[in-house]
Amino acid sequence: MSKESNSMGKTLLDLPANVWRSIFRNSLPSSDRGRAATSFTNFFLHIQPVRVSRQALRPSYTMGLGLISFFLFVILTVTGILLMFYYVPSTTQAYDRMLDLRSAVAFGIILRNMHRWAAHAMVAVVFLHMCRVFLTGSYKPPREFNWLIGVALFLLTLLSSFTGYLLPWDQLAFWAITVGTSIAGYAPFIGKALKFMLLGDATVGQEALLRFYVLHVVVLPLVLTITVAIHFWRIRKDGGLAKPEPKLAPALPAVEVLIAEPAPVLVAASSSAAEGTAPARRFTIQGLVRGPLIQVGKLEEDTVFSWPSLLIAELFVLMLTIAGVLVVSYFFNAPLEQPVNVMHPPNPAKAPWYFLGLQEQVSYSAFWGGIGIPGIELLLLALVPYIDRGKDGVGRWFARQRVLANSVFLFFVFVNIVLIVIGTFFRGANWQFVSPF
Amino acid sequence: MRLALAVVSLVVLIGSGAVVYDQFHSRWEDNQKAYFNQALDLAKTPAERESIEARSPKIEQTIVTAFGAQRIDRCESCHIAVDDPRFDSGHQPLRTHPYSEAMGDVFNNGRWERRHKFSDFGCTSCHDGQGRGLDKADAHGEEDSWPEPLLGYTSQPDWKKETAAHLHDKAFLQANCAQCHTAKDFAGTPMVAHGHDLFFKTGCYGCHRIDGISSGTLGPDLTEVGKERKLDYLWGHIVNPREYTPTSIMPQFKLSDDDEKALVIFLKSRRGANLSESPVEAFTLKAKSVTPALPGVAELDASLTPAARGEKLIATLACLSCHKLDDHDGGISPDLSYEGLMRDQGWLMDHFKSPRSRVPDSNMPAFGLPQSDFEAITAYLLSRTTPPPAISAADTYKNLCARCHGDKGDGHGINSTYLDPAPRDLTRAEFMVSKPEARFITSIHDGVPGTSMPAWGKSLSDAQIKGVLDFVWQTYVHEARRQLKPRKVPEQNPVPFSAASAARGEAIFVARCTGCHGRKADGHGPNSMDISPRPRNLTNSAFIQNVSDHRLFESVEYGVEGTAMPSWMDYGLSQSDVGDILNYIHSLNQNGK
Amino acid sequence: MAAAPKTNDPVDQQMPRRQFLSWFSGIALFGSAVAGVFSTFVFLKPRATYGQPNRFSIGRPDEFPPGARLAIDTKRVCIVREGNKIAAISTTCTHLGCIIAPTETGFQCPCHGSQFDVDGNVTGGPAPKPLSWFQVSLTPSGELEVDKDNEIQTGTYLSV
Repeated sequence: MSKESNSMGKTLLDLPANVWRSIFRNSLPSSDRGRAATSFTNFFLHIQPVRVSRQALRPSYTMGLGLISFFLFVILTVTGILLMFYYVPSTTQAYDRMLDLRSAVAFGIILRNMHRWAAHAMVAVVFLHMCRVFLTGSYKPPREFNWLIGVALFLLTLLSSFTGYLLPWDQLAFWAITVGTSIAGYAPFIGKALKFMLLGDATVGQEALLRFYVLHVVVLPLVLTITVAIHFWRIRKDGGLAKPEPKLAPALPAVEVLIAEPAPVLVAASSSAAEGTAPARRFTIQGLVRGPLIQVGKLEEDTVFSWPSLLIAELFVLMLTIAGVLVVSYFFNAPLEQPVNVMHPPNPAKAPWYFLGLQEQVSYSAFWGGIGIPGIELLLLALVPYIDRGKDGVGRWFARQRVLANSVFLFFVFVNIVLIVIGTFFRGANWQFVSPF
Repeated sequence: MRLALAVVSLVVLIGSGAVVYDQFHSRWEDNQKAYFNQALDLAKTPAERESIEARSPKIEQTIVTAFGAQRIDRCESCHIAVDDPRFDSGHQPLRTHPYSEAMGDVFNNGRWERRHKFSDFGCTSCHDGQGRGLDKADAHGEEDSWPEPLLGYTSQPDWKKETAAHLHDKAFLQANCAQCHTAKDFAGTPMVAHGHDLFFKTGCYGCHRIDGISSGTLGPDLTEVGKERKLDYLWGHIVNPREYTPTSIMPQFKLSDDDEKALVIFLKSRRGANLSESPVEAFTLKAKSVTPALPGVAELDASLTPAARGEKLIATLACLSCHKLDDHDGGISPDLSYEGLMRDQGWLMDHFKSPRSRVPDSNMPAFGLPQSDFEAITAYLLSRTTPPPAISAADTYKNLCARCHGDKGDGHGINSTYLDPAPRDLTRAEFMVSKPEARFITSIHDGVPGTSMPAWGKSLSDAQIKGVLDFVWQTYVHEARRQLKPRKVPEQNPVPFSAASAARGEAIFVARCTGCHGRKADGHGPNSMDISPRPRNLTNSAFIQNVSDHRLFESVEYGVEGTAMPSWMDYGLSQSDVGDILNYIHSLNQNGK
Repeated sequence: MAAAPKTNDPVDQQMPRRQFLSWFSGIALFGSAVAGVFSTFVFLKPRATYGQPNRFSIGRPDEFPPGARLAIDTKRVCIVREGNKIAAISTTCTHLGCIIAPTETGFQCPCHGSQFDVDGNVTGGPAPKPLSWFQVSLTPSGELEVDKDNEIQTGTYLSV
């Protein structure tokens, strides 16, 4: 039994105290020890460290982009599952079901809107998160592998968005996927086979719809979830968010926490057994966890307890994300264009916005624009932590020591954004240049 | 941070509240509640009142499976009074659907019995619109993306205003009646029948195919045009084809609004296989090539002479929806009034069977009519041998030449859009003064084979021809004739014809000429649309075989002033190169020598 | 952690503003969560299904002569007319859902032998309840409409 008195049971419902206590083994923390213990006493909170650096909590450092990405993923999963109750991945029924969602299903329109806008937002935010991590040099050791996981997550996000794009089965969806899978078909050696496997047929049709549906609702979310879990695990193991070399506080004695066990334990013939009390076991927490943050005897000054600071910050970001998605979905409807007409490609037929840069490049050269240059960019992105081996400038925005890396990165970002802008606004019928004004 | 959390939580709370509130206050629920209130007032017995009070707003839908693909119509969620006879003077959407005997409804025992029950037909089978929608903009198809807006009622934002003004009429619904009621003389679809007649009378049948009705191949197949296109496109494309399809060769027929409406309704009723056809019937129709059954042809008296029969056929077969004959003028194709003086039997029969065999770039369709009809019409046309009256040169030009060459002589006569090669622009002085007078006289007297310029030699005397030419010079050319320097051009091709020479010529042609004349030498090179006059079609055998080597040499070596044809001897082509090119061109025109 | 508890945390007790904000956020979060869960259930309950509608027209009264007992199997209802009174009796057996057939003495179920009288009361077999009677009403356009979502008491007829 916890030595603290438990006042919760008395002030809440008239449940017998032991029912409440059996669910919530510990009361809300009211001391530092309690706050520290939350990382070990709650399933959901054990993902958090006991203490977290103040810099990690500062909005101006991370802007919460990683968290926003994750929460958008959660929103997408929840809204996606709900939408699955009404959607049918059949070429004859899909569009009609979208119409039903828009009109006959209660809350159908807001759920679909939320799903669509969260999807677009997730692609954008994941990209911004990647920029933040790069520009603060947070991919440097020991975080190189987590950066690779992040790149993988970026690709998975794009793929999820792409597979979902087809499901409404309207003109926008059909032709965007026709263009996108054709770009994939240009990959050397495997391109044609890859395209055929994706589509399940020579052209986009029922097979493609079914395959994209399965990929979108089962395969990719599963892979994403596992990858996200690894991503979070590595964040903890690599010592939390990257920050500049810490100012060391004067050495403090190791913190000991007594964890007593309420149930009877193996009793050895010893004096404690004779006294009738259960023996207590002693642990030294910092001896269990290895990593840069936890330094035995050298606790940093500039940290706070995760409970409640980190939790409040996370809740705030969650609510902010929900609020943003909700407000946008309330005022703006996701597009639903004409039903699919395989005889009439719209002129121009444009890929989803995040692939428009690619489509613009492809209009110059199918291989280099669609596979070659993006492939090289991806390779460079993935290898960056292994190429850039300087150890300086970590944890700060635009550190002087990293001017070269940051400039090269920003150059590529800028070029890609410009290409997307051109593809979106400056290309019209027959992919000729038009003025958007 | 706690403050930020509190603020943002409040926003989410308010947002959630707004979303939930919105959900329970839809327009269709309000309409139903209004109906219940009004029905309550009209209720006569307490039992009736009780049953109305027990009702609460619910989505009313009809699932129609008997007629084509499954439809789900939720129109009655707002139009809930549609089968309640007490609301016939109600305010939309709470209004009874009209009853009428024309629709098969029967008045029996003091009340109407509806023939086309909503539970059997739904609403969209007849009215189009988006059945699954539950708010007005969705259900009526008011957004551009919906392919079937409410027929004859809803216009979409991208429709042109002048066109949309014509499209608001219940009569358009007849197009949907015809999905089941396909008999031509069905009483309920007079506009469809009228449009069907116009389809023949205006000549549409010649270019367009509709399964079971016509077999034209020059224009698109219209069997499913009612399904593929909305009313504004159908109307607008007939009124001005090039506004919707810039490269179209479809003539711009001038129809009255009523005729236009009938034609549009007829075309809208073409949705491919209709519901009264069995799949086998539909398949058979698709496979067959149809000899069009034109109204009025069968009744022609067998005792008529071929020429008399031909005269009647011309009127029945809609030739005059394009051509001119005496006072009837379609305004699109040449004047046939003097045809007997300009063409012979062989030319006319060949031209009927395949216009492009005589005029390679003609836009006249090959009508699939029986041989005897062609012979009759030819006989009649050959009987047109009265020459035009001898009037002033100016009037002669106006009556005979302006139709193609234009009132201003600039080649933009009313026929000119449809002629290929286009009529010569007589105001292009650089060209006109670079050729000797004799050439123009020959062109007028003998015509220009392979083009629509006929031989006027039998219709006009030499003096008249000279008079017209002088008139043209004075009025349009505005430059005196020059003394032309003799050019060193051989009379005959010095390079003898051989396969090797033609191959060399082809190599040079591919390197130099295809930009304008095209890889196939048909005048459709990538640059051809940007120059005027268009590059010559060098596979126009009738034309090429009528032109001397001398003239071809001159055109290539010295260019053609007033056109984009450069003088190639300035660009390094020797005479033997040009000779090879000529042999290549001749090799393309060997057939039908 | 769900509702806003009073806190013993001495830090919080010293900062009433912080406490208020926590409490406020908690209420707002709880309210939003309730709205979310409620909306989810409303969303999941279909407002329009694609199967047979439960309210349908069966024709005009004169299509059912007095004494008629007409079973419409596709709609699982039997229309009964006695004199000028019309009723619609369910032909779904109240035992386990088979379609029952009208007989000389009432109705008979082929699955487990339940027997009903002409008014649908159970006279034999394992059926636990009598057959439902559905509301029949006359629409303004003069047609009879059966509403299977609306059950009425056995023996209630519509007079036409």
